[in-house]
Amino acid sequence: MALVRDTEGDLLQVRDLSVHFGGIRALEGVSITVHRGEIHAVIGPNGAGKTTLFNCISGIYRAKTGRIVLEGEDILGLKPHKVAHMGVARAFQNIELFRGMTVLDNLMSARGFFLRYGLLRAAFYLGRCLEEEVRARDDVEEIIEFLDLQHVRKVPVGGLSYGVQKRVELGRALAMRPRILLVDEPVSGMNLEETEDMARYLLDINEEMNITILLVEHDMGLVMDLSHHVTVLNFGIKIAEGAPQVIARDPQVIEAYLGEQASARTP
Amino acid sequence: MARVNTTFPRLLMENAQKYGQRVAMREKRKGIWHEISWQAYVERVMFLAMGLRQLGLTQGSHAAILGENSPEWLFSDLAIQSLRAVSIGIYPTNPPDQVRYILDHSRSKMVVVKDQEQLDKVLTVRGHLPLLEKTVVIDMKGLRRYRDPMIISFREVEGMGKEAVLKEPGLFETLVGQVQPDDIAFIVYTSGTTGPPKGAMISHRNNIHMIVQGLQPILHFTEQDSLVSYLPLCHILERNLSMGMALVFGYTINFAESIETVQKNIQEISPTFFAAVPRILEKLHSAVVIRMEDSTRFKKAVTRFWEPVGGKAAQYRMQGERPPFTWWFLYLLGYLSSFRAIRDKMGLLHCRCLMSGGAPIAPEVLDFFRGLGIHTVELYGLTEVCGTVSGPHRFIKPGSVGEPCGALEFRLAEDGEIFLKGDSVFAGYYRDPEATREIIQDGWLHTGDVGQLDEDGHLFIIDRKKDIIITSGGKNISPSEIENRMKCSPFIKEAVVLGDRRKYLSALIQLDFENVGNWAQTHRIAYTNYRSLAQNPQVHGLIKEEVEKVNEDLAQVEAIKRFHILEKELDQDDEELTATQKVKRKVIAERFKEEIAGMYR
Repeated sequence: MALVRDTEGDLLQVRDLSVHFGGIRALEGVSITVHRGEIHAVIGPNGAGKTTLFNCISGIYRAKTGRIVLEGEDILGLKPHKVAHMGVARAFQNIELFRGMTVLDNLMSARGFFLRYGLLRAAFYLGRCLEEEVRARDDVEEIIEFLDLQHVRKVPVGGLSYGVQKRVELGRALAMRPRILLVDEPVSGMNLEETEDMARYLLDINEEMNITILLVEHDMGLVMDLSHHVTVLNFGIKIAEGAPQVIARDPQVIEAYLGEQASARTP
Repeated sequence: MARVNTTFPRLLMENAQKYGQRVAMREKRKGIWHEISWQAYVERVMFLAMGLRQLGLTQGSHAAILGENSPEWLFSDLAIQSLRAVSIGIYPTNPPDQVRYILDHSRSKMVVVKDQEQLDKVLTVRGHLPLLEKTVVIDMKGLRRYRDPMIISFREVEGMGKEAVLKEPGLFETLVGQVQPDDIAFIVYTSGTTGPPKGAMISHRNNIHMIVQGLQPILHFTEQDSLVSYLPLCHILERNLSMGMALVFGYTINFAESIETVQKNIQEISPTFFAAVPRILEKLHSAVVIRMEDSTRFKKAVTRFWEPVGGKAAQYRMQGERPPFTWWFLYLLGYLSSFRAIRDKMGLLHCRCLMSGGAPIAPEVLDFFRGLGIHTVELYGLTEVCGTVSGPHRFIKPGSVGEPCGALEFRLAEDGEIFLKGDSVFAGYYRDPEATREIIQDGWLHTGDVGQLDEDGHLFIIDRKKDIIITSGGKNISPSEIENRMKCSPFIKEAVVLGDRRKYLSALIQLDFENVGNWAQTHRIAYTNYRSLAQNPQVHGLIKEEVEKVNEDLAQVEAIKRFHILEKELDQDDEELTATQKVKRKVIAERFKEEIAGMYR
């Protein structure tokens, strides 16, 4: 059962990216290449700069030096909403949803990002407005089915369990029809069963929807199982990259992780 | 009475003629109810049948269906039958090993599976299944990676069928015409509380005879009815309701969106007829009890106030009489201020008839639904007669399963065992002549259930013949009656009464994890999992109270003297429960030997 991969090639390139906060080097000359169709994981101890990297890609931070290129277009320095329009969607570690709104409304508002109709048409709910709303709902329903959210479609997000909220967060990112999906610690705080479900969904998103995934995760088991390619950061510097099996044996990586454990023991 | 002389596929074609664009099924997809007309129903079955024929399914061969309820389940069932092949349903909850057993034992050549989850089960055991040629997958989600010549999508098979129909129009009609009433339509694997599942072979005539002569005089269906299909379709009860009876009476079947949404979808549809197994009715009942506990004092008071009124009105109705004006009026007030809201929450607002079957149920649970003004009937039936043996025809007696139905000849043996005869008695167990000889002797089906008839001809079931407990004092006791009373408590999910050849009765009890957990939370009792709840002394005290409550209504010899709370939940995967969630007594007696011995020390 061979994996079917569509087109090979570089989707996202990060070149020599550096970010400094005052005297702290958050990222120093980091380069990463994400190929089309793969699941690419970024791992590293706390404070390694993984989230900073995500913030740079999605346009929240502006890096001092370096380039970020999405399919030949430079996206460094663009505003976050522009980056989103280019096809970069992000599922946040801390769930960023409208807690008082239902699952459906949350997804619809994410999808609503693409709606193009004027105020006048909206007022009468006619023509293109109706057409686009129907299409949006259809897309959103597909995501609801994909993530098995039917039973909570009309439930306000605030009342849902943490695991389900994480799934909705993922759905919200999917509703933006991304070319590349940035997923920040999708299984943090989840139990074993929820973790397995999430792994399944990520694989399905990658294989069924053909969406490239850039993943930040602490759970090494998950990373090793899911990803095709792993980049390891430590103190803002890339210390290794390659296939997961290779990374697991890399002495520098092992040291970075053991070092973290040792320092965790002595507060 | 004229003998049945038709088949299910023929009924389907007739319905398409008669009803055309009328709604046969509804299915919720993408949040919207989609309708399937009778015309579309027959077309989908035709395309699928012709497609399966191309794949090599022929007269007499066997094909299984594995998955949750969906329109495609019914299309497959009827398509297989149209080819004079035999269809076999498998419980979607079965673990791979049991799936293997049924596929192997039934000699299935093909299997239609719902989705990846079910397909994976088949793939893990396919090495043991040399006869299996093709697996047809309904929902291809998540299967892009599978490259396997044995796997084909449902859509693809339908496409092949469509082409075949264009090439040879009229062939399907000819094939359907060749199906005989005495052909085996399907095999139902019984859940098997004692041994491995047995395959009951059921012919078109068996089943249709039961529907027309046996079930209809009790249930009174019309084409205006609307049902939600949610019980497992491989069980004879849901097979009758969703497939057979819908074909005979032309009513509408609704399919829930997913398993999690069943309750919500029932509420949306508000079916006119609702069939359930005791487990589900117990759950609905305890949900209302628990919810009442959590609601405001005013609401509690209102509900309590109207309860006796509902009960009184129900008594009249059970007698088949109209309540006198005063009671009718009081009931109306009760309905407007209380019953209506409760029924609406459960999705039973428009329910004209609620039916319990599949296993014995406690009278208290039935009383609860009757008190809400729902016509509630309990039926007693067997897979081996394709449905029911008895049900209330004119009036309802508490505790009785009604009068023997018109589809069968009925006789009580000297020891009270129920014997049956007639067109609905099944054709035998597949590949098990010994078991067939055992159950059908001298033309009579020996049910293994012991019953009693009263002066009005109402049947009272005592218990399974082999389950009856004879205490060392020589007293005959029916364990299931006591067990059902215990299960009425919202805190007890399962109870197994023991005491054969012992001095007194004892019980193994499984907690209702959800309800006991809530109780523990409100009483500030810390717990981590089921096991820690089961070991908690305060929980033990709670259950003790519940058991004592049950004992109050029982005779001295029937009282439960000691009990033990099981430290694990019973599970189908551990072989402790059947696919229909019935307790396997033998397995449990063996597995909890020590605990049982402890209660008699």
